[in-house]
Amino acid sequence: MVRSQLSRRARGERTDELVETRPAAAVRARPAAAVPACLLAWLIPGAGHLFLRRTGKGLLFLGAIGTLFVMGVMMDARLQMYIGLDDPLAFLRSLAQMALGLPYFAARALGFDAGLVTSVTHEYGNTFTEVGGLLNILIVLDAYDTAMGRKP
Amino acid sequence: MRPSHLVYLIVFSGLVSAVFATLLRDDMPGRVRFALTAFGAFVVSALAVGWLMYPFPG
Repeated sequence: MVRSQLSRRARGERTDELVETRPAAAVRARPAAAVPACLLAWLIPGAGHLFLRRTGKGLLFLGAIGTLFVMGVMMDARLQMYIGLDDPLAFLRSLAQMALGLPYFAARALGFDAGLVTSVTHEYGNTFTEVGGLLNILIVLDAYDTAMGRKP
Repeated sequence: MRPSHLVYLIVFSGLVSAVFATLLRDDMPGRVRFALTAFGAFVVSALAVGWLMYPFPG
């Protein structure tokens, strides 16, 4: 229907019944909120979506990423920062953990940074915290798309 | 007492599947379908790979 209307408009014919074709997400776009939403989404997982009034999504992200991180710390994950290219994998893993934002730095400040390498769940804990950080990067990008009106 | 590794696997799969479903689908039925599929794929593939590795020395 929209295509036929557009072709009629291209031929110069009048189309009185032209409908609104922009998706609802574009109508709710808040481009000015994109940067604060991304910053909030990085600092506290889910906070970017809560800021954009996507309450359900925000709470789900907060609960899921928060649970992954807390369980990872309880499983003796190592949170120490590793900066340097002599061990690229350790550097990337550390970057993934840093993507968790404030919870990561708070846990380090509270003394949970060393982990326990002899613990049977140490590598599981590392995986939980790293995957939580990587998912948070996707959540930051989703908050950006939501603010720009590309997603509902 | 710590939970078993299977419990960790199920919790991890459930949380990651829920986040992926929320990110990748916009309607609720689609999210539920995607989350269940991803959860099943996580658990079944992990069990299958673990079972295949069973003959290897520890």
